[in-house]
Amino acid sequence: MNCEQSTELMADYLVGALVPEQMLVVEEHLRGCGACAADLATWKKMAVLPMESPSAESRERFEAMLHAYPSSATATSEAMVVARQPGIVLTNPNVEVKRGFDWSAATRWLRSPMGAVAWSVAVLVMGVLIGAGVSGRRSNDSSGPPAQELAEVHAELNSMRQLVALSMLQQQSASERLQGVTFTNHEEQLDPQVYAALLHTLRYDTSVDVRLAALDALSRHAGQPQVRKSVVDSLQTQQSPMVQVAMIDLLTEWRDPDAAQRLRNFQQSPNLNPTVRQRAQWAVSKLQ
Amino acid sequence: MTLVADEELMVQVRNGEVEMLGVLFDRYQTPLYNFYTKMTQDRAVSEDLVQDVFLRILRYRQTYRPGTAFRTWMYQIARNARLDHVRKVKPEAPLTAEPMAPAPSSDSAQQKQEALLLQRALMQLPEDKREILILSRYQELKYEEIARLMSCEVGAVKVRVHRALQQLREMYQQLERGASTKQTDRLLGGNFPSSRTWQ
Repeated sequence: MNCEQSTELMADYLVGALVPEQMLVVEEHLRGCGACAADLATWKKMAVLPMESPSAESRERFEAMLHAYPSSATATSEAMVVARQPGIVLTNPNVEVKRGFDWSAATRWLRSPMGAVAWSVAVLVMGVLIGAGVSGRRSNDSSGPPAQELAEVHAELNSMRQLVALSMLQQQSASERLQGVTFTNHEEQLDPQVYAALLHTLRYDTSVDVRLAALDALSRHAGQPQVRKSVVDSLQTQQSPMVQVAMIDLLTEWRDPDAAQRLRNFQQSPNLNPTVRQRAQWAVSKLQ
Repeated sequence: MTLVADEELMVQVRNGEVEMLGVLFDRYQTPLYNFYTKMTQDRAVSEDLVQDVFLRILRYRQTYRPGTAFRTWMYQIARNARLDHVRKVKPEAPLTAEPMAPAPSSDSAQQKQEALLLQRALMQLPEDKREILILSRYQELKYEEIARLMSCEVGAVKVRVHRALQQLREMYQQLERGASTKQTDRLLGGNFPSSRTWQ
């Protein structure tokens, strides 16, 4: 048997998928063929490349992604417990599935970009109709505008904007995510889900521009202590020196009471970019 | 006591129990990460790609067909994610990446050198050959699974694996010769290798 004839058998031999008779045939060929024997040696040598483990942050990033994903609220609490334990052995693999009308399916559609467009059209039509009603009524009698209805429309419009922003933050293209971030700038009060999504963007978005925009968007809500805290928290994990410097500047601007101590610790961390370290030193001196 | 099958978990994810994806993540993040580090020689990019795979699984969960092998479907997504990444970064990326700094280990100097040479040899292979070797040798995919992934016959996969291995062996031998020449040079007081030493 020559190399050409043995090539398929050889591939099976490598992964131990041959019956004994076939193995004998290959081994006989290997004894007479230096090239094929060297191939086998290389295959065995491939074992020197070690199996590496991803960093611990990998699991955290996954959790954050799953958490920020719009339909994550659908899982039963039992399922969540199971999911948190790696490689779990289940005695009863049939985790209960929710019955009845699946609300999540309906809201999921509304959160898709198509759904968001439909929403905006519906809200616009409603606004026009109500607007026409208001001005019509105003001309008929002299009582003030129905403030309650206007407030409802306003609230509706807000939630619609947040839905659009959420769906845009999930897009593949960086420019669309950027638009999603800027979309949140109109909000006076941040929905917790949008806040979580912005925070996730600040930490993990692949584009520095999008991360900077997320920081800018979050800074509009600096009145909330949790926003300030989360910016301090993500300073350490931030990869880009540019974003780190922007964060330090914001912390200085906010004069957050906890920030000085955290920055002092931060500037002592090893492997810090020199510019970032300098900026942190400057910020600490300002905050004192 | 049995481990819940991947396929069963994926059906649950498909039905909206997205938290079950956590179990699949724990099972596959390490194999996927190693697939990517061996393909790209870049740990940060590999971690990003692993996240991308699970985001895609979540986003396209409705396209999983119950009754089909989850692992094959997942590797299909993983290959696409990598190709999209390559397309995005290609203009500024060098053609062959430098091998990653080896992870700290207790291996002997000789093993470390072998690992370095092997990494270099792998990176010099054309992408399709590197991929088929990594899938069969490190990811331990069966030839039948690879055939489904690449939409070809099992026989063709076997031929490709052996051809890729032949080329890897040639590359490795070339590098080995180069390395020993450099070492001899150094012993004879020749050109001192720059930052990339071969030890």
